[in-house]
Amino acid sequence: MKRANRILTILIFVFLYIPMAVLIVASFNEGKDLTTFEGFTWNQYAELFRDETLLGLLGNSVLIALLSTGISVALGTMAAVGIHSLKPKMRSVVMSLTNIPMTNPDIVTGVSLSLLFVFVGSGLLGQRESLNFWTLLIAHVTFGLPYVILNVMPKLQQMDSSLTDAAMDLGCTPMQAFFKVTLHEIMPGILAGGIMAFTMSLDDFVISYFVTGSGFVTLPVEIYTYTKKPIPPKVYAMFTLLFLLIAVLMVGMNLMQLRAEKKKLDTRPVSKGWQIARRCIAGALVIALVVGCGFLLITNKNDQVVINVYNWGMNIADGTDETLDIIAAFEEQTGIKVNYSTYESNEVLYSKLKNGGISVDVIIPSDYMIDRMIAEDMLEELNFDNIPNFSYVDEQFHNPAYDPENKYSVPYTWGTLGILYNTKYVDEADVTGWELMWNEKYAGKILMIDNSRDAFGIAQYLLGYDVNTMDKSELQACADKLAEQRPLVQQYVMDQIYSTMENEEAYIAAYYAGDCMLMMEENEDLAFYLPEHQGFNLFTDAMCIPKGSQEKAAAEAFINFLCDPEISGANMDYICYASPISAAKEHMEDYLAESEIVYPDPEVQEKGSAYAYLSEETTRLVESLYQRATKTTENADSDDAPKTVPYIIIGVVFVGIAGALLLTGKKRKRKY
Amino acid sequence: MKTRNKSAFLSLPYIIFMVVFTLIPLGVVAYYALTDPSTGEFTLDNLMNLSEFLPVLGRSVLYSLISAVICLVLGYPVAYYIAHRGQVAQKILYMLIMLPMCMSFLLRTLAWVGLLQDTGIINNFLDWIGIGRLQLIRTPGAVVLGMVYNYLPYMILPLYSIIVKIDNRLIEAAEDLGCTPAQTFLRVVLPLSVPGILSGMTMVFVPAVSTFYISQKLGGGQDTVMIGDLIERQFKQADNPNLGAALSLVLMALVFLCTGLMNRFGGDEEGVVV
Amino acid sequence: MSKELIRLRDLTMEFDGERILDSINLYINDHEFLTLLGPSGCGKTTTLRIIGGFLTPTAGTVTFDGKCINDVPPYDRQINTVFQRYALFPHLNVFDNIAFGLRVAKCPKEEINERVNRMLEIVSLKGYGHRNVASLSGGQQQRVAIARALVNEPKVLLLDEPLAALDLRLRKDMQNELKRIQQATGITFVYVTHDQEEALSMSDTVVVMDKGRIQQIGKPEDIYNEPKNAFVADFIGESNILDGTMLADYKVKFFGRTFECVDKGFAPNEPVDVVIRPEDIDIVAPEQGHLVGTVTSITFKGLNYDIIVEFKGFKWLIQTTDYCAEGSTIGIRLNPEDIHIMRKSEYSGMFGDYSSYSAEYDELTEDADEDEE
Repeated sequence: MKRANRILTILIFVFLYIPMAVLIVASFNEGKDLTTFEGFTWNQYAELFRDETLLGLLGNSVLIALLSTGISVALGTMAAVGIHSLKPKMRSVVMSLTNIPMTNPDIVTGVSLSLLFVFVGSGLLGQRESLNFWTLLIAHVTFGLPYVILNVMPKLQQMDSSLTDAAMDLGCTPMQAFFKVTLHEIMPGILAGGIMAFTMSLDDFVISYFVTGSGFVTLPVEIYTYTKKPIPPKVYAMFTLLFLLIAVLMVGMNLMQLRAEKKKLDTRPVSKGWQIARRCIAGALVIALVVGCGFLLITNKNDQVVINVYNWGMNIADGTDETLDIIAAFEEQTGIKVNYSTYESNEVLYSKLKNGGISVDVIIPSDYMIDRMIAEDMLEELNFDNIPNFSYVDEQFHNPAYDPENKYSVPYTWGTLGILYNTKYVDEADVTGWELMWNEKYAGKILMIDNSRDAFGIAQYLLGYDVNTMDKSELQACADKLAEQRPLVQQYVMDQIYSTMENEEAYIAAYYAGDCMLMMEENEDLAFYLPEHQGFNLFTDAMCIPKGSQEKAAAEAFINFLCDPEISGANMDYICYASPISAAKEHMEDYLAESEIVYPDPEVQEKGSAYAYLSEETTRLVESLYQRATKTTENADSDDAPKTVPYIIIGVVFVGIAGALLLTGKKRKRKY
Repeated sequence: MKTRNKSAFLSLPYIIFMVVFTLIPLGVVAYYALTDPSTGEFTLDNLMNLSEFLPVLGRSVLYSLISAVICLVLGYPVAYYIAHRGQVAQKILYMLIMLPMCMSFLLRTLAWVGLLQDTGIINNFLDWIGIGRLQLIRTPGAVVLGMVYNYLPYMILPLYSIIVKIDNRLIEAAEDLGCTPAQTFLRVVLPLSVPGILSGMTMVFVPAVSTFYISQKLGGGQDTVMIGDLIERQFKQADNPNLGAALSLVLMALVFLCTGLMNRFGGDEEGVVV
Repeated sequence: MSKELIRLRDLTMEFDGERILDSINLYINDHEFLTLLGPSGCGKTTTLRIIGGFLTPTAGTVTFDGKCINDVPPYDRQINTVFQRYALFPHLNVFDNIAFGLRVAKCPKEEINERVNRMLEIVSLKGYGHRNVASLSGGQQQRVAIARALVNEPKVLLLDEPLAALDLRLRKDMQNELKRIQQATGITFVYVTHDQEEALSMSDTVVVMDKGRIQQIGKPEDIYNEPKNAFVADFIGESNILDGTMLADYKVKFFGRTFECVDKGFAPNEPVDVVIRPEDIDIVAPEQGHLVGTVTSITFKGLNYDIIVEFKGFKWLIQTTDYCAEGSTIGIRLNPEDIHIMRKSEYSGMFGDYSSYSAEYDELTEDADEDEE
């Protein structure tokens, strides 16, 4: 029995630590991939320390964690003392309030807070950026507080209440009694609660993910976007360093505790260690506050002009792989600071802008989304006097369908949506058109693009419908087609496509030409195919300035900078899309400039078509049809679902809430 | 004890904070769930349309229950083993359990992708020794594995803190009264650890049922879409916060129902706060 | 001889509608050693906490040196307390515990050193200054608690069952120690205990309390010899309490027989309670006795035997140094000064009957007292 336990314990520890070992090994890997070790190197660490963005994000995380912990500890300790002296009935009410964030799933907490902030901030107060540093801080305090309270309360209950009486008896005011006596007694609880709040805050992803705007991002949230793209190995290096740091901290804390316990049994004085620990904590908190205030001063009071640029993931040259670091070049040339963040799809961009969660100055949506945004009056008219480089933009991109008078947008890139396939596994004979994506031979090896517009587009080309159809029966047919495809699809992905295709986890994928070029560079077995005979999407991404931008002139300067042929060319070297500026070709690497994938022949271009904005109603219909076809229902004909089911669900909701209210009054649960 | 009432007012800022940032947001969720996305009018449509998500809901509950049970089966012996080590060994082992919890769960889950994928470390190894590649990733099993991996410490820690508090004299008393070790375990130790088991189950179940990252990374194929994925999609891609709010409401009710049932089922014992 | 220092006037205390103290009137003189004595729940600790300032009375006033101090917080009173479980600060060592009050009062450093060291000497803990309080024995902790209170040179020291947690031997030593310290410092002690022996041996004045009311105030001898009612008689030492009738001054009738006594001032034929202390009863041969009874049990108690004797169906406790065999018939004699007469009270008939006597009885009640608060 004992031996079995021992073996199991060892196995569990192996199980817990193997993935971390994989990451640590990867931080010394010369190659980019987790799975193959190509040689030992320290380079990732050097890269890490060169990467100000990553270190900045880590700083953000630490800042939020320190500040939220400080507030939680102060507010929570005060509250615990208060709750302790409440009447029992009131106390249990307050404790069940404390339990709500503990019992609620993080995602619900995150969603509810983000809805609150957007509802109050944008809806009621008309804030331009309702998701910001402060809301993130509030969210972290919200889930940090219960940890402090749940740790301090037992200590208060254990404490001999005559200790405070004794202190007051000896001349202390209640305040003094608290600081001289009570605080010492509950200090272990405060420390434990504070440490928990700190680590939870530092590592929180789910809640932050929902309440983060564009201005202030913490490390875990950014790592989430990293893990969708091919992840830069320097992230592993950071993981390794953090792992070491936390391990050292933990060992140190345990040693201190052990020593303190030993001292307690000792007959000699013990208070020195405490004093030092206390001073350290006080010092740390003070530093945190100073750093915090300093940070706020820097971000708020600085004369430097800052613009927020919100772009697609992997959609600007950032200096890696010997490309030009465009943002750095722009900052250097103009002295304007760029705050750069990324989104995954037009729809993400739209919903963030629409909800007022973020404040940005430059966005790069696609054609149909620009159409929609113009229709909904979300864009500023551009002052083309500030964008002299617009003259370089080719004639054919002037006055596009989505912006007929060319008032709102300057094209950034253009490209096609086609099929990427692996020649090693896919029979050329099967590459006949979009139906390749439905070929049962490759079941489980097909990646479908994970956004409703593109997915429906593919189905529409295959079925021969107009790509901008609003006909409900045609759309339903497309949905059925997508549902038919579902059993064959390995995953519905966006940025994740990179690692999956490069690793040959999947053989066939529908994706944008530029990204396909990038993947083909990494894996030479990959090939790109454009079903010309059926039609394909020809898209343009264009730079716009959303309504409410505070730095319009600087934003226009940024747009202008990107239209410089030299810059545009260097940029395309990295992102592998086609530039609407022909002059840029001279500054691009030849293989790109001459590539038919990047620059299809004009007669091929003829066969492509652009998406236009559908009505809001149709957009919603498409989205819900898409979700139903790809995510939820096993068989498409769910309309026959019994009519009683909704009522059962509503019943469950209300019974659940009622039950929760009854139960939480009595129970305290979850997490230590 | 009787003079304390004077400091009760200290809890006021906290109570206000919690009402504003936990209760009211839930009200806002309910408000969104009950309004129409385009017109903003009151409607029950969001809730009525949820029936199509029932399979997803059922799947989420099923997978997370399975994970919770596996965590219990794996975690109990480990917690028991740790609780019966010497003081220093206990500290070290406890720390080793805590440590992974402090590291980014996104990256740790990503490491599993590297291990499990078709061209991943495990499959490369299997291929090399001649067994051949297996479909490991994008299976329900991989999702459950991810949950067990991520939330196992949440099971072990409360179990440990309960087991370590069980008075050794009780065990001796049971043995004195003629119990075999197995009987002692079943009749004394196990019943006494029920609060830890319940608390551990809750702590595994709640994050597991609402996860979206694990299912996106380790699932992603058929039959692994979880309710968390759907909620995330409504907010981040589909721009339908109203449907997302309705789903959140259902998820919340589900969690409260399940944790409530678990606690009912285990009698009225107080859950543990370690 | 000494002036009045503290006076409690009509002190009443209620918690949630329950009356804990009912019109307490009491004065405490300077330099006095006053003990509040009573069973658990009698209100003695509440009275002490009101004097200390930890509770505000529902009604009534506390005056100190002629001034009402109802609203003065504990830290502004010239009164210090020694708490039941000492309440030593676990994060401070012995020296720092004792110096606590002085430091709060911002005494100069040298003065603190001097006074604390002197105090350590007084409580015989010289050289223990750097010890962690958790490493001290119960008696030592007790002395630290006393030193911590005394070092502030309060006018009054309140002691809440300070010896309850000590074993018998240590308790005896500490009783002497406390008495010595009180006499040496001349500080007024207000002492709370449920141990009547402790109260009688240490105090100048004993206040017997029950059910939130003062039952009797007096010197220890008076309390013992002249209990005012059955409760006091029973609580202070052992007593046989009988129903009797006061025929006239110095004449009381019980058990159908008239006895001489030393009490007077009752109405003719007034029903009274008659108290006879077990140790005052002389055992004689049956034929010489005022009363004749049968021994039903005998317990060896060390100094004496406790014997239960049945008289006409009523059982008495008699303490004697002579052995009497179970079942034997004995006679007793009662001298007039051994018979105490009390007026009838609400306690009449509740105490003084040893029909259900058992040797463990004492221990059981003591255990129950320990659980107080």
